[in-house]
Amino acid sequence: MFGIYVHIPYCRTLCPYCDFVKERTGASAPAPFVDALLKEIDAFEGPDEAGSIFFGGGTPSLLEAGDLSRILDALARRFRMAGPEITTECNPDDITPDLVRAFQDCGVNRISLGVQSLDDRVLRYLGRRHDAASALRACDQVAAVFDTWNLDLIFGAPPIDAWPETLRGVRALDPPHVAAYGLTYEAGTPFERKKSEAVDDDTALRLYQDVEAALAEYAHYEISNFAKPGHEAKHNLVYWHNEGYAGFGTGAYSFVDGIRARNHVKTEDYLRAPGAKCESLALTVEEIKVETLIQHFRLREGLPRAGYAARFGVSLEADFGPVLAALQARGWLESTETNVRPTAEGFYLNNEIGLALVDA
Amino acid sequence: MEVRTEMNFPQSRIRNFCIIAHIDHGKSTLADRLLQITNTIEARNMQEQTLDTMDIERERGITIKSVAVRIQYTAKDGHEYRLHLIDTPGHVDFAYEVSRAMAACEGALLLVDAAQGVQAQTLANAYKAIDQDLEIVPVINKVDLPNADIEGTQLQIEEVIGLNSEHAVLASAKSGLGTIDVLEAVVHRMPPPHGLVDAPLRALIFDAKYDSYRGVVVYLRVVDGHLRVGQKIKMMVMNVKYEVTEVGCFTPSMVPCKTLNTGEVGYMICNIKTLKDTKVGDTVTDVNHPAMLPLPGYKEVKPVVFCGMYPAANSDYNDLRDALEKLQLNDASFEFIADSSDALGLGFRLGFLGLLHLEIIQERLEREHNLTLVTTMPNVAYRITYTDGREEIIQKASQMPPRSELASCEEPYIEADIMVPNEYLSAVIDLCKKKRGIHVRVDYVDNTRCMAVYQMPLAEIVIDFYDKLKTYTRGYGSLEYRLIGYRPGDLVKLDILLNGDAVDALSTIVHRNNAETVGRALAAKLKSLIPRQQFEVAIQAAIGNKVVVRETVKALRKNVTAKCYGGDITRKRKLLEKQKAGKKRMKQVGSVEVPQEAFMAMLRVNAETE
Ligand SMILES: Nc1nc2c(ncn2[C@@H]2O[C@H](COP(=O)(O)OP(=O)(O)O)[C@@H](O)[C@H]2O)c(=O)[nH]1
Ligand code: SF4
Repeated sequence: MFGIYVHIPYCRTLCPYCDFVKERTGASAPAPFVDALLKEIDAFEGPDEAGSIFFGGGTPSLLEAGDLSRILDALARRFRMAGPEITTECNPDDITPDLVRAFQDCGVNRISLGVQSLDDRVLRYLGRRHDAASALRACDQVAAVFDTWNLDLIFGAPPIDAWPETLRGVRALDPPHVAAYGLTYEAGTPFERKKSEAVDDDTALRLYQDVEAALAEYAHYEISNFAKPGHEAKHNLVYWHNEGYAGFGTGAYSFVDGIRARNHVKTEDYLRAPGAKCESLALTVEEIKVETLIQHFRLREGLPRAGYAARFGVSLEADFGPVLAALQARGWLESTETNVRPTAEGFYLNNEIGLALVDA
Repeated sequence: MEVRTEMNFPQSRIRNFCIIAHIDHGKSTLADRLLQITNTIEARNMQEQTLDTMDIERERGITIKSVAVRIQYTAKDGHEYRLHLIDTPGHVDFAYEVSRAMAACEGALLLVDAAQGVQAQTLANAYKAIDQDLEIVPVINKVDLPNADIEGTQLQIEEVIGLNSEHAVLASAKSGLGTIDVLEAVVHRMPPPHGLVDAPLRALIFDAKYDSYRGVVVYLRVVDGHLRVGQKIKMMVMNVKYEVTEVGCFTPSMVPCKTLNTGEVGYMICNIKTLKDTKVGDTVTDVNHPAMLPLPGYKEVKPVVFCGMYPAANSDYNDLRDALEKLQLNDASFEFIADSSDALGLGFRLGFLGLLHLEIIQERLEREHNLTLVTTMPNVAYRITYTDGREEIIQKASQMPPRSELASCEEPYIEADIMVPNEYLSAVIDLCKKKRGIHVRVDYVDNTRCMAVYQMPLAEIVIDFYDKLKTYTRGYGSLEYRLIGYRPGDLVKLDILLNGDAVDALSTIVHRNNAETVGRALAAKLKSLIPRQQFEVAIQAAIGNKVVVRETVKALRKNVTAKCYGGDITRKRKLLEKQKAGKKRMKQVGSVEVPQEAFMAMLRVNAETE
């Protein structure tokens, strides 16, 4: 499946831990940016068929409904799509019943809500604009309209003893999909100098296992993602299957014909030449193979041998037999009749699997 | 006027001299000036190019190999003189080479920075020159500096070194001021060589280089007699014979001639295959008319610092051996023998003249031969006496016998001259105490500076003493030292165990009083260096059989990237590739992956425990 990603690089305020491409804005996403997006979409060269659209950011909930539908129209002109999954990331403080309905009217059928925590102290630490009460309200309003939606969580932010309560709250909300990410203190963000406040690995693992326990009824289908049956994020599966995607908007990545390329990361550069690349890397087949394995081993179901053979014209065994055997011996991978997949430990030590697969 | 031909330049107009100075006092700059003003300049450019091959030498601003340049100079008296400027290595590791280079001279320019005054190296080198009976001409350099203190410097030369400085030459090597005065002083104040023209040949080897096209090029000074092409010669110490195929001088490029006459300095080529066959300090004589006695002062130079070097990848063992063999063609003063370590596999044990020498060789191996090495902690050699009376010199800690078989253990000592401004004396005394120094005396050099003389175990010096000294004295302290022999010490072997197994490559010999502190610090350091692995790693430090500390590297339980969407994919692969390359530099010791730095952890421990 081919996916479409649209990046909306605007936020009302900037969260201090965040290293996404974004800038501050007082109002909605500006019209010139939307125009640039339309131009980029019209000019796109690549596949004509797509199965998913994902509006990420930044804050896509800053899009005027009218602009959103102009973008979706442009996409519909450019791509053949049969019942695509159309997700929009939203910040809880932007959510109103009107907005939710307006987005649905535009064709959006999935919302991903940046809740992060249900504890006010944690939300303050993270520098979020919303508090727990408005997050709960937003969830209810989204759930009232959308059949499928995602709730984003961040674990590891202090005070960590708030975590069980947040998880209890999430269970009560009963979202169809949950993504839980460990907090990282990224270089180049204000949080970089707070690095010493990061929880140690053992604590992070415990918090992560708390999520696994709290969401035991969900399918833990990807390292950080939990879904009720049928509610897996189709768009994100494109990445985990290492399939192709088009990226529109500032700093967006695309992966088309084995070339991974990135749009200009400064919006002013992007506006001058929408779709012009600041980075472009033609991957070798070997590199694509390794990335395909690394990505699939993020998924509980792992990599189907038949799928690999069909894609690369050679058996998985022939390409990676010994290293996969070694990883199985270590207890990080296991073999089913059809697939090679990670074990629970293979989730916790996922980068070790990656390390074994790459060449130095 | 004397009649002369190129073959027969009057001995009375030959001058052989060197420049001695503390580092950065302007030796190279002055040498450049001397070559320029005498129009040796174009040739000098060529020499710079030849020196280019020794990158490390240039980067570190030190002279590893001495050079001997012939300078033609027409003095103010109208006569033409033939000067040989012999460059001497600048670092204490190469003290013996310095002494042989000086032995090839009659005079020395003692160069002192007018703003810095006499420093430890100035003094140490001046004493060496006095010992060799050289005529010393003081040159006060950098007189152009606003803070130049000419009178003060003169006074120091008189009082500290005990040389008459009334006629010191004032110079600015930078501007060229005084360069002619320097040349005139060389000509008129230094004596000509006084060797015997008709005596049997005696030539002093003061250096040698390996040239891949011509074999070994021997640098020598003809003391008595003549050295000719075709002559059958013998090295008196090595007791080997050769036939001379070429002699010549450096201008500074190599220019062949038929004969090197009494007093002259130049080179000789005679089919010597490797540098090991040439000993600095040896005497060349004529096979048919041999001299009775060799020239005095020959000494066998022995390495004093040892370490193990292992290829990071076991498969590079042969490459490492080839590289060592090649390098030894250029530098016969380091030694290597095949060695093996339970922890590190097959490798070599190397001996060096000092720590700097070690670093130079290590760097050349890695840089010129593209090898990735694991180097173990440098150590000195110990003299062991067993209870049965047997004696042995051991070069690595793992050879230390158990206590029950050990009658005594002695370690090499040095005497250090440490020159510092008075206000840092107490800091230096503190430092020396920590390094098990024995106070000998403090000399007050002048109103502002003093020289502390300490006897210390060489082991304490080789690690980081010089860096420490610089820190303790804000860069003002300077150091010279000489070996004074073995002395008994209460020494014990400190073992490091990983998951219960002693790792030979991590053992060290330390003084009993420090053993536990060092053990603790080392275990803690290793804990921070050894990454978490799939299993828990226990790090223990043990003295004898007694474990004094245990640290634990907990098992790796989580290593995962939470998000991996569009752009993250390639970024992540690249990151993993980088980490993988880092992992490849680790050594598998038993089941434990140990990073290279861990084997040098002692160096950092020393840096941190004070
Ligand atoms: N002002 C001044 N600087 C000098 C003079 N002679 C040398 N220098 C500088 O002192 C530094 C050390 O000189 P160098 O010849 O490399 O010293 P070496 O270590 O003794 O060979 C260099 O930066 C030179 O430019 C001088 O007469 N006056
Ligand atoms: S976390 Fe989301 S809302 Fe906060 S700055 Fe980043 S993109 Fe904007």
